[in-house]
Amino acid sequence: MSDKKTYVDRRLPTGDSLLKQLWQDPLGRAGFLGILFILLLALFAPIIARYDVAQINSKARLAAPSGTYWFGTDNFGRDIFSRIVYGAQVSLLVGVVSVSIAAGIGYLFGLAAGFFEGKVESTIMMLMDIIFAFPSILLALLIVAVLGTSIVNTMIAIGIVNIPVFARTVRASVKAVKGTDYIANARSVGLKNSVILFRHITPNSLAPFTVQATLALSSAILTEATMSFLGLGIQPPNPSWGSMLSEARTYMEMAPWMVVFPALFIIFTILSFNILGDALRDALDPKLKL
Amino acid sequence: MLIPILLGISIAIFLIMQLIPGDVVSGILGIEETPELRAMWEKKLGIDKPLVTQYFNWISGVVRGDFGESFRTGAKVFPEILWRFSISAELAILACIVAWIIAFPLGILSALKRNSFIDRIVRVAALLGVSVPGFAFATLLILFLALVFGYYPPIKYVSLMQNPLKNLEIMILPAIVLGSSMAGSVMRMTRSSMLEVLRQDFIKAVRAKGAPERITIMRHAFRNASIPIVTLVGMQIGILMGGTVVIEQIFSIPGLGQYLLTGIFQRDFPIVQGTVLFMATIYVIINLLVDILYTYIDPRITYS
Amino acid sequence: MKRILSLVLALLMALSLTATAQEPMVLKYGTDAEPIGFDPHTVPALASTRIMLQMYETLVDVDENMNVVPLLAETWEQPDDLTYIFHLRKGVKFHSGREMKAEDVKYSFERILNPDLGALGNSASYAGYIEKVEVLDEYSVKFTLKQINAPFLSALASSYLSIVDKEAVEAAGGNLLQSSGGTGPFVLGEWVPDNSVTVHRFEDYWQEGVKFERIEFYVITDPSARMSALRTGEVDLIVGDSAMLSLAEKAKNVEIYKVRSRNYTTLCLNLNKEELKDVRVRQAISLALNRQEIIDLAFNGEAEISGFAPASMGHWAVDVLEHPLYQQDVEKAKELMKEAGYENGFTLTCTVGLLDSIRNSGTVIQQQLAAIGINVDVQNKENAQYVDDWKTHNFDLMVCQNGAGTDPNRAVAFFFSTTGSANIAEYSNPRVDELCELAAGTTNVDQRREYYHEAINIILDECPNVTFASPYDYIYASTDLKGYAPTASNMVNFRFAYIEK
Repeated sequence: MSDKKTYVDRRLPTGDSLLKQLWQDPLGRAGFLGILFILLLALFAPIIARYDVAQINSKARLAAPSGTYWFGTDNFGRDIFSRIVYGAQVSLLVGVVSVSIAAGIGYLFGLAAGFFEGKVESTIMMLMDIIFAFPSILLALLIVAVLGTSIVNTMIAIGIVNIPVFARTVRASVKAVKGTDYIANARSVGLKNSVILFRHITPNSLAPFTVQATLALSSAILTEATMSFLGLGIQPPNPSWGSMLSEARTYMEMAPWMVVFPALFIIFTILSFNILGDALRDALDPKLKL
Repeated sequence: MLIPILLGISIAIFLIMQLIPGDVVSGILGIEETPELRAMWEKKLGIDKPLVTQYFNWISGVVRGDFGESFRTGAKVFPEILWRFSISAELAILACIVAWIIAFPLGILSALKRNSFIDRIVRVAALLGVSVPGFAFATLLILFLALVFGYYPPIKYVSLMQNPLKNLEIMILPAIVLGSSMAGSVMRMTRSSMLEVLRQDFIKAVRAKGAPERITIMRHAFRNASIPIVTLVGMQIGILMGGTVVIEQIFSIPGLGQYLLTGIFQRDFPIVQGTVLFMATIYVIINLLVDILYTYIDPRITYS
Repeated sequence: MKRILSLVLALLMALSLTATAQEPMVLKYGTDAEPIGFDPHTVPALASTRIMLQMYETLVDVDENMNVVPLLAETWEQPDDLTYIFHLRKGVKFHSGREMKAEDVKYSFERILNPDLGALGNSASYAGYIEKVEVLDEYSVKFTLKQINAPFLSALASSYLSIVDKEAVEAAGGNLLQSSGGTGPFVLGEWVPDNSVTVHRFEDYWQEGVKFERIEFYVITDPSARMSALRTGEVDLIVGDSAMLSLAEKAKNVEIYKVRSRNYTTLCLNLNKEELKDVRVRQAISLALNRQEIIDLAFNGEAEISGFAPASMGHWAVDVLEHPLYQQDVEKAKELMKEAGYENGFTLTCTVGLLDSIRNSGTVIQQQLAAIGINVDVQNKENAQYVDDWKTHNFDLMVCQNGAGTDPNRAVAFFFSTTGSANIAEYSNPRVDELCELAAGTTNVDQRREYYHEAINIILDECPNVTFASPYDYIYASTDLKGYAPTASNMVNFRFAYIEK
């Protein structure tokens, strides 16, 4: 008989059974609801926000939370609640776009490396190693320094930094599936490479990829917050939670609400993605299937 | 395999620095700049030469152990890197110790009592550790200690050699901040590896033989679970290299990350290039060591 | 009886001796940035200057009324317009112990003018007009200029023109980045990079009464950490800004020193930009601004409305409080915009740097200009990029903080004459150029004032810059610190300061 590995079905379970599984796990439920909450906040920001985000009001500076200003105001008299709500848009946008860039490019690299092996694989993986060897925050800072500070460039920077992680995950998955008898059969039937790649290998590589994507989202938001804190991320007066936190540093004692709310929302969002990622990992782990 | 990567990194960082707008001369002269002064400084620093020449001058120095001098202070880069590295390394090691003390016992406990109340608490605590940005934790910690206890960590840095106790007093707070976020991921990794292993057949076999629970766990499970943990720890030490930057800044610790950050902001090429190359080398070496450790822990893994 | 009395006296004396022989008096200063070396001729950074001012001195100094007063030079005369003769103080020692003589002055200036050094003093604003320096006798030096340069005397007070010890420079291999070669009250000690710098008292300093045995400068970049360090007594003095004011007021052990600086914050307009070429548009911008609001929000209220010749310049200053263009009049501004054909407004970018007050001013200006139809896109640049943009004139609007300097030539010609190296607005007015030349070419103070005032008024009307504030500088110190009197000329003079608990 062939020495090929036996094929283990690693394709993602169909949509509703996955959701059901997630829902049953209390942590999964929590993560899912948390992200839903932030998503809704971001989508309905124009309706929920009570004031203009950039509206300066010198008479209402540093006001404590009250009926008029639910989360208080900052040093420009801007309403913090409205800025937090719009900040959700910015944070999620940066997270989603940068992870999409990383995932998209990383996926293609990983696929190519795992499938074609040989020189292709070693070149790609060396490129990945070079990127990976740079400490991530510093690489992101360098990229933004070259391109200039803007929302788009921040997304590109965080995207590039996360490519290797996806490439490696996908490569490992592809290699695992590639050697199986299932794929050997597909080949012997004469299916073209591209068909094999996309119709058969890809679905089986998606599980760890999805988990990785969720965790990368939380890491992207964390990286953006750190970059803004160092002054090279989203620039004021744009309401990103990270830059709000950075601006609040000077006023920490006089107006602690300026620090507390952005910090809370950053932590909440990152936590939700992490919890969801964990739950997904538990749900998708074939070894846990009984 | 090592050399091409490092070479690639050296070229990459050299090019990136050239691409960043602004240069060291503008930073030095600022508002006092005139075309004559600029010409004088460019000649002095050797940056009026073609790029290829500059790169070769630098890289040929590097292979001889000479990383050049800082554009701004004229101090030799390599000795400075080494000294700063020892400080960052000390911080990293302390952080790891903090992390392991918290993470290993809790991770194992959590795996043993899977899905119990303790397990849930530990999992959430670990998640929190990973989800709270280090700079937020650090800033709040300093504020809290100053307001509530009137305590501020000693600001004048002394090395471990000069005054061990004072040095530890300076390093303990940043180590706690760094360690707690590390602890989160190590805890989770420990837990999942332990679960994985506990499930395996041979553990059941060992239990069936009647071996005492403790020995079972310690000797067999942990040993097998340690593979991914070693990977993770190796990765984390590498990550710590750059990740200490913000913490170093907040606690005024003269570490390698701070050196690099200042170098970037001031466009001090020798500092940035030298430090990045150094960090990458350390990272690559650590990965190598981790791979070697693998072969000891799990003889089933061989390398072609 | 006599014996008991003398015994008691001896005991008292012994006690008082031990009392004074206690711990050395140390000043701990919390600063915001790491210094980059201590060569007074080649290092401009403020973080370094603070420390270099402890170690080096100049021929003359400028007091808070902008009068030139003696320092290392006791007297001087000007036999003709191009010649200055200085008579040095006798008995001034360098840190090496050697006495400072006229040759050292000659050496210092020749070093500055050496094209290979890249010294900052080697430019038109400072020593650039020197033709030659000659030693007349042991304690007398003669400077001959290439042309009349009235600002020369006050420029000599700049730390870029410090007097250094030739032997120290040569012993250190040509630069003073990490060693001491000056005449100042303190000598460079230990430097722990990114952490602290220590300077020790120079026992042979020519002035008596320096009480601190050493000063320790610490780098604490985070402003709230710095304030915490002050309040818990870890440091005695910190660099601060107006944002911390309310915290400092509440703290019982903190004393607030407020100094009227010679800095001003301004909105630079790039006159190359089509819309900004029209003086009506520029005036509209000036009229649209509510300067008090900018001060309240970006400076925490701690600044004065000011033009580019701020009140701290004494009799050289031009008061703008009543100037028509400095009163907010949005209606008039809109009219001017309409007249110039820009009723529908346009978009401009505004470049700001990392300094809080600059960045925050940008935010407020953005909102204020929106009222007259100018849509401002604020771009935050970090330091090196900001300086680069400044130099290459790569901006539409730029918020800058400038120093008006020790001589009005600096405040006017440096920024607004056609050939001024800081004229980033690319402003050019022949009458202003003429006035600047006339003013630099005479040493008659009253005449100079007339010329400068006329030039300043022209510039105010034409608005190449729209200036709004001159901020106060704040230093926060422990209430135990005494004898410290910062002025705009020197905020780090600790010669006569001491700590008394």
